[in-house]
Amino acid sequence: MHNMATKKKRTPNAQHDNWVVVAADSAIETQKHESDPAFVRLRNPSTDAASLYMLSSGDVQLFEVKAFEEDFHSWFVGQTVQRDGRLLFVTPMDPLFLILPYLIKSGREGKFQPVDQLIKDEEFPACSRLLSCTRSLASLHHIAEEKEVELLKFHRYSQEKTMNWLKKKVERTVSALKKRNISVGEGVKSTTYIRVKSESDYHEEDYLRYAHGLISEYISEDLSKALLKHLQLPELTSPKEAEPPSKKRKLSDKPVEAGEDYTKFNSADFARKPPKKMSAAQKSLAKVDKTGMKPMSSFFSPKVKAEKQ
Amino acid sequence: MDLGPFESDNSVSCRLASQIPDICRTEDCCLGIDEAGRGPVLGPMVYGICFCPVSKKEELKNLKVADSKTLTEAERENLFEKLDEARSYVGWALQILSPNTISTSMLQRTKYNLNALSHDTAIGLVQYALDSGVQLKEVFVDTVGPADKYEDKLSKLFPGIEVTVRPKADSLFPIVSAASICAKVARDRVVKGWNFAEDLGEVDTDYGSGYPNDPKTKAWLLKYLDPVFGYPQFVRFSWSTAQTLMDSKGVTVHWDDDDVDGEKAAQRQNNKSMLSYFSASAGGKDQNTTHQTHRFFSDRRLKSLDTL
Repeated sequence: MHNMATKKKRTPNAQHDNWVVVAADSAIETQKHESDPAFVRLRNPSTDAASLYMLSSGDVQLFEVKAFEEDFHSWFVGQTVQRDGRLLFVTPMDPLFLILPYLIKSGREGKFQPVDQLIKDEEFPACSRLLSCTRSLASLHHIAEEKEVELLKFHRYSQEKTMNWLKKKVERTVSALKKRNISVGEGVKSTTYIRVKSESDYHEEDYLRYAHGLISEYISEDLSKALLKHLQLPELTSPKEAEPPSKKRKLSDKPVEAGEDYTKFNSADFARKPPKKMSAAQKSLAKVDKTGMKPMSSFFSPKVKAEKQ
Repeated sequence: MDLGPFESDNSVSCRLASQIPDICRTEDCCLGIDEAGRGPVLGPMVYGICFCPVSKKEELKNLKVADSKTLTEAERENLFEKLDEARSYVGWALQILSPNTISTSMLQRTKYNLNALSHDTAIGLVQYALDSGVQLKEVFVDTVGPADKYEDKLSKLFPGIEVTVRPKADSLFPIVSAASICAKVARDRVVKGWNFAEDLGEVDTDYGSGYPNDPKTKAWLLKYLDPVFGYPQFVRFSWSTAQTLMDSKGVTVHWDDDDVDGEKAAQRQNNKSMLSYFSASAGGKDQNTTHQTHRFFSDRRLKSLDTL
């Protein structure tokens, strides 16, 4: 590898023929079933757009695919170089999260329906394969009411059940976060930063909120809001209204100077000074539309209104 | 001169030294510093010191050690032989800075330039002599950079020693000439018998002088350019000759400290420009369109994919 001097263009990434993947053995096991494990595109319940998942051999297990991606990384794989330094994680996932949006959609009709009629998506036909996952049918009762007529099962979405199910997910996430010592405090912006508070200083609410945020990556925004209520967590108003306590200020805003100083404006220096040149950054700042912006000083003023003069 | 210690691992910096003559521990000594191989794109840079008692200056002069550049290789070998024979009162020490050391110093994140590297190496050798008990009173140095600044720096570091920094010191003071011969001989030998750490098969050793303007050196550099790795460690990557060739013939490699100007680097990292916070429209729009990934994932640089 070598360092390069100044001008260079990045060529667009060529198609990836190889991936560096971390996956559980169960994800790539092929012996028991005929079909190979496969990457599939399914509707992401949080974004409503396509995301990549993996179905194990025989579609018995669902995995989500997350990519670790940072600039300036490449792989040396055996005797080859791979330009993307991407690391794919294939991790087990509860298929109910992906099934849930379909149930909610048909639940609006309020009818009990056979589940294979519920899970249909023209855009993502692979979604029906979710029903082959061992966990899917066995755990549908967490989010739906069931009715059995003769040998047929019918389901109807239940918001109440779903909330309880999601609450359990949040609680389990909280214990996982604690077990793994994951920083959840608002002040901690990065795992690599030094922690200001020790872990024991975090309140239960910090954990709950963090776990709620994590679970919200797997549900729609509406559900996320409903779950927040269900957890009895107040919605955060950001940014916080509380202003920092202001420092002691002088009684007057005017700069301290002699009352009568006639030398100031007469000095030759003052008169001759050419206007200062602005840097490129200052110039572009000057062009910015400032309507609706508070002056910087307003952020530093005390809560009590500045004395009238 | 046993180059074994360096040749066993020629990727690092290595010190070689003669025995310290007993007389140098008891009598006031003078010491000369010079370097060989500053300019070439190939091979190591070698720093040498030579020292002897002040009282033996005349004897050293009679050995007719002269500026190494005016001598042929055979003459230099011959003179080194003579210095070796005078080991009862002449001592020497060398610091071989491998091309890899030079490359990694100059190209690291906090740049360590060749002058700083040279100064520090010279200082290290003087300190070595002092630590070995050599009674140093005078030090003569061929300059690197402005002579008076360098002299000032050395004088402050070694109070009590009279430091003389001069351009062309190697032709003015025999002890510096002697140091330059030691350095040059070591460099010649190392370059001639370079052990390539890389698996290159039968290496063409006809690389000429190693100086960038030598056509043989240039041809060699073209021949041994690997599109991915660039060059063997024999080459100083920090030399513009090597860089230019890698730029034009090699695969482009990006490092995260490539772009020094912040705006571009920030754009590439998807950071928002400071200015965007001040424009009226941008803030609101942003929140609606993009899904804000939870910080658990964004902190860990993890994201969902929609395609492979």
